[in-house]
Amino acid sequence: MNTAFPFPLAGRPVPFSPGRLGIVAGNTFLEAVRQKLFNFLLLLAVALVASAQLFREFNFGSSELKFISDFGFGAMVFFGSTLTIAATAQLFFSEIENRTALTILAKPIWRTEFIFGKFLGVFAVVGVFCALTTLLLLALLYQRETALMNANPEAFEHGRIIHYGDLVLMGVLQWLKFGVLAAITLLIASFSNTNLYTVVMGFFVLVICHLQYLARDAYGQVASLPLRLLVRMLGYVFPNFQVFNLADQIGIGEGIDPGIFLRVAGYALIYIAVIGGLAVYSFRNREI
Amino acid sequence: MTHPNPASAIEITGLTKDFSLNLRGIKLRAVENLTLNIPEGQVFGLLGPNGSGKSTTIKIILGLLEPTVGECKVFGVPSGRVDSRLNVGYLPEAPYFYRYLSGTELVRFYGRICGVPRKQLDDRVREVIDWVGLSAAAHRRVGTYSKGMLQRIGLAQALVHDPRLIILDEPTAGVDPVGSAEISELIQKLKAQGKTVLITSHLLAQIEDICDRVAILDRGKLILEGAVDDLVGLRDRQSLIVDSLPPAELDELRGWLAARGHVLNAVEQPRTRLDQLFLSKVSRPKKEGDSR
Repeated sequence: MNTAFPFPLAGRPVPFSPGRLGIVAGNTFLEAVRQKLFNFLLLLAVALVASAQLFREFNFGSSELKFISDFGFGAMVFFGSTLTIAATAQLFFSEIENRTALTILAKPIWRTEFIFGKFLGVFAVVGVFCALTTLLLLALLYQRETALMNANPEAFEHGRIIHYGDLVLMGVLQWLKFGVLAAITLLIASFSNTNLYTVVMGFFVLVICHLQYLARDAYGQVASLPLRLLVRMLGYVFPNFQVFNLADQIGIGEGIDPGIFLRVAGYALIYIAVIGGLAVYSFRNREI
Repeated sequence: MTHPNPASAIEITGLTKDFSLNLRGIKLRAVENLTLNIPEGQVFGLLGPNGSGKSTTIKIILGLLEPTVGECKVFGVPSGRVDSRLNVGYLPEAPYFYRYLSGTELVRFYGRICGVPRKQLDDRVREVIDWVGLSAAAHRRVGTYSKGMLQRIGLAQALVHDPRLIILDEPTAGVDPVGSAEISELIQKLKAQGKTVLITSHLLAQIEDICDRVAILDRGKLILEGAVDDLVGLRDRQSLIVDSLPPAELDELRGWLAARGHVLNAVEQPRTRLDQLFLSKVSRPKKEGDSR
């Protein structure tokens, strides 16, 4: 080798680098999109969202457009949650089991950069998923609303009733919720020994996060102070995923309050930061 | 043996590593009170049977594990610190890399992680891939590589940031004799460039050929350490290799030696080594192409 490459100096401080974090994230994203699972779930979600308009005769009394919107977001939530948990666990454990983590962590890289790089890679994948399914849903709703407007103009005398901007905000909120879920899954993976355990625990926590408001409502009324405190504490430990569900406010002429949107987005970002920090702490102590 | 550069690449002092086996506090001692000094510019062999603590020691040097007791420094920097790895390249045992990347993409990825400047990155990647003899396969996906090619691309990623210390964990495991010989040649070239190489291998003949010093571990303890020539050479014996002697002349030689107080201990037919015979008979694959 005709090396004219300066030796880096041992003892030179190696600061936290967003660049290295981005390299890990980019590689994680590339690995994910080349996995069949991602393509499979994306295709299923797209198919389900697209099929929403085939079921418009079964709208159970709600408006047809709202039914399409609910159906579409339901598909996004179901497949997005599955994708988030499966992809996070798989992309983490592929590094451990294939020992690629050894070669990366033997380089001058912080474990914080590695963990947040993995997170951002998964977050980007889920972002693409949310963007595609939201765009498809928007197109379907726009096309159907236009058809209904032509067929029944007097029902739309004040113009379109769908707030398309709010649908985009709803897609962003789902993305943020998946971000919280990815951080939780990464935290579990950081101390777990197997992919399967991580996936099972990830779904378990997902259910808790979706249903914890019921427990809070039920047990919040109990007289016992310790139990009330315990329930309150659990309410902080597990994020409440119901706060991301603002679908009832859209599709029927009501919009999303920007203040509420920002508060929910902030809620998600705080959870991502805290849970991500815990994952880093746990992973720093892990023996590779 | 004299050391041209007495500075230490690796200093291990009183190193002990325990692993917890279960929640009841039962522990496995993988390395026990290991003290080792690896001078810069040498090829150092770390030997031992399976489970002797070689890989654990390497992981501690790389900062992947924390020592239970003792310390480990790489170029004077404690191995737990990120900056201790600035000058270290590592090829793990049976490497498995991102199958979906091409050889070039893979080495480029590791080069960027190591902070190779963007302006130099492409040239450096090309240079190091050429150096390990994979230029023709550089654009193939790593998933299609043979074991020998994986070792070579692994060596390329270990060298991409031009480290002063290269750690090779079983670099010839699962590689055929031709690939193994090529890796030996690459290690010799690294030594000629002044690099320090720490290598573990079960191929003791190869270690003997390429290493300046070796240490032998057994059940986590250092049982022997020193220069290869000092350890394996019999200083009170010499061998003379001559053309075939008729029995009468052999007796005459024996008498001549006896008259001067020497004993002819053995008369043997010299043998070539099987690996050398193998390498001289088989055709080596083209350097860049390799065979699967």
